Amino acid sequence: MTSISSRRLAKELMEIKNEGCPVGINLVQADDFSTWLFTIEVMGESLYQNEKFTLQFRFDQQYPISSPAVQFVVTEGRQAPVHPHVYSNGHICASILGNEWSPVLSVIAVCVTLQSMLASCKEKHRPVDNDRYVKHAPENPKKTRFHYDDDTV
Amino acid sequence: MADNTESSSPSLLSNNKASSSGPSSDAPSLIEEHSNPPAGPSVITEDTGSPQSPSPVTCFSQTQLVDISTLSLAQNLLDLTADVQRPLIANVAPISELRAEYENGSPSFVQQIDYLQSQGYSSIIRARGDGDCFYRSVAFAYVQNLLHAPDPTIAVATALSTLEATTKLLESVGFEKMVFEDFYEVLEELVKSVVTPNASGSILTDGGLLETFQDPEKSNSIVVYLRMLTSAQIRLDPENFAPFLFHPELGEPMEIRDFCEHFVDATGKEADHVQMTALSRMIRTNVDVAYLDGRGSNGQVEFVKFQPDETAEAAASPPICLLYRPGHYDILVGPRH
Repeated sequence: MTSISSRRLAKELMEIKNEGCPVGINLVQADDFSTWLFTIEVMGESLYQNEKFTLQFRFDQQYPISSPAVQFVVTEGRQAPVHPHVYSNGHICASILGNEWSPVLSVIAVCVTLQSMLASCKEKHRPVDNDRYVKHAPENPKKTRFHYDDDTV
Repeated sequence: MADNTESSSPSLLSNNKASSSGPSSDAPSLIEEHSNPPAGPSVITEDTGSPQSPSPVTCFSQTQLVDISTLSLAQNLLDLTADVQRPLIANVAPISELRAEYENGSPSFVQQIDYLQSQGYSSIIRARGDGDCFYRSVAFAYVQNLLHAPDPTIAVATALSTLEATTKLLESVGFEKMVFEDFYEVLEELVKSVVTPNASGSILTDGGLLETFQDPEKSNSIVVYLRMLTSAQIRLDPENFAPFLFHPELGEPMEIRDFCEHFVDATGKEADHVQMTALSRMIRTNVDVAYLDGRGSNGQVEFVKFQPDETAEAAASPPICLLYRPGHYDILVGPRH
C-alpha cells in the first residue's frame, strides 16, 4: 500500500501541474516524494523587488500529518531573504511550520504564506540571534524548537 | 517541552485565492512571529539537547509574561499523562489500576474513582497524552460502539450515511477534497470492516480495532479527520459557537477562523467544551464526560453530557463515555458497555 504521504503529494503535484502555481511561485523540481523545490518572488511593491529565492520542501512518510521541513536554499550562490524570521542558513521561524502545522495546509499554501510573510516585511534585518543560531543549528530545521510569539517589534 | 502547549502566534494562513486548501476566508492574515528570547533559551536544538546561551536581547512584554506562566502550568498538567511509551490507545484495564496511581496522596481522586466504580464504571481504556487524546478516544469508542451494537448492520449503515454527509459539509466550508479524502477513507474503511470483510477477507474484531488505533498512520489519519469535522461544525454554526470561542490560555475572545486554525485544525491541540460540543453534533453521537478533578461534592463525579441526538434510538444505544482528568481524556467503560 502506498503511504498516505505519497498519495497526498501525488494529488498536490497533479493540481499544481493542472492549475499552475499562484503568481510569483514556480515549481522547479519535484522528481520524487521526498524533496521539492520552488522559486518564490514577491509581486508588487515590497522590500524584495527583483529578488528571487529558492524554497526547499522535504517530506517524511507522515506528511501531511507531520509538517514538511521547509527552508530557503543557500547554496550555489542562492541566498535566503533578509527577514526578521529568516536565518542566514535558510531556516525559517514560522509557527505554521512548527507547532501550528495543520494537515489542512498544503505545499502551495505554505509557499503563499511565506510569500506574504516577505511581502509584509517592513524592515530587512536578520533575526537578533542569527549568528548564535546558525552556529548551532541542526541540519533539518524541524529539529529546532523555535519559540513563537506575538511580534511586538 | 511539548510543542502543543506553545502559545499564541496570532496567525496562520490557511488559505488564499489561488491556492486555497483550507477553509475559505478573505485576506491572508499572515504574521509569523519570532520573538526575542525571554529570559531563557528560545531555541533548543534537539541535536545537542542543550539550550543555547540566553540572548542578551530581550523585549519582554506583559503578554509574553502571561503566556509563559500559563504555559508552564499547562505543561505540568500535561506531563502527568504525556508518555511517548504509552500506546496511542491501550488495552482495556481495570479502573483499580488508575486508583492505585492516586492512592499515595490524592484521597479526593481515590474517592471519586471509587464512586465511578460503584456506578458500574469498572474499566478504562487509556489514550496517549499527546494533545489528540480527546479525538482519538472518541474515534475509538465510536467504532467500538458499532462493533458491539445489537444490530451492527444497521448501526454501520447509519454511521456511514452520517459520515458520508460530513464530506459535503467539509467542502461547503471550504475544505478541499484533496486535503480530507485520504483521512476520510481510513475512517470509512474501518467502519465498513465492522460488517463487511476487508480486502484481506477479515471482519473487524476488538483486537483489530485496537491494532488500527495503535498504528500511527491510521490512528492519526482518523484523528485528523475528526479535527476537520469539529472545525467544520464550528464554522458552519457561527451563531452558536462564536460567543464561546476564547483563547485557552489568554482567555481573550477569538475569531472563528483563528480559533479553528489554532486550536482545532492543528494537531496536538487539546479539546475543550466547544470542540466536544461540535464533534458530538457532527457525528451525531452522545458523549458523556466524567470529570475526575478531585472536586466533586461527597466524592461524586460530575458527568457533563453532550447530547446532540435526543431521539429514542440514540437514547437506546450507549453514549461514548470519556474520563477527563485535568489536561487529559481516556475512555471510560461503563455499565452499558
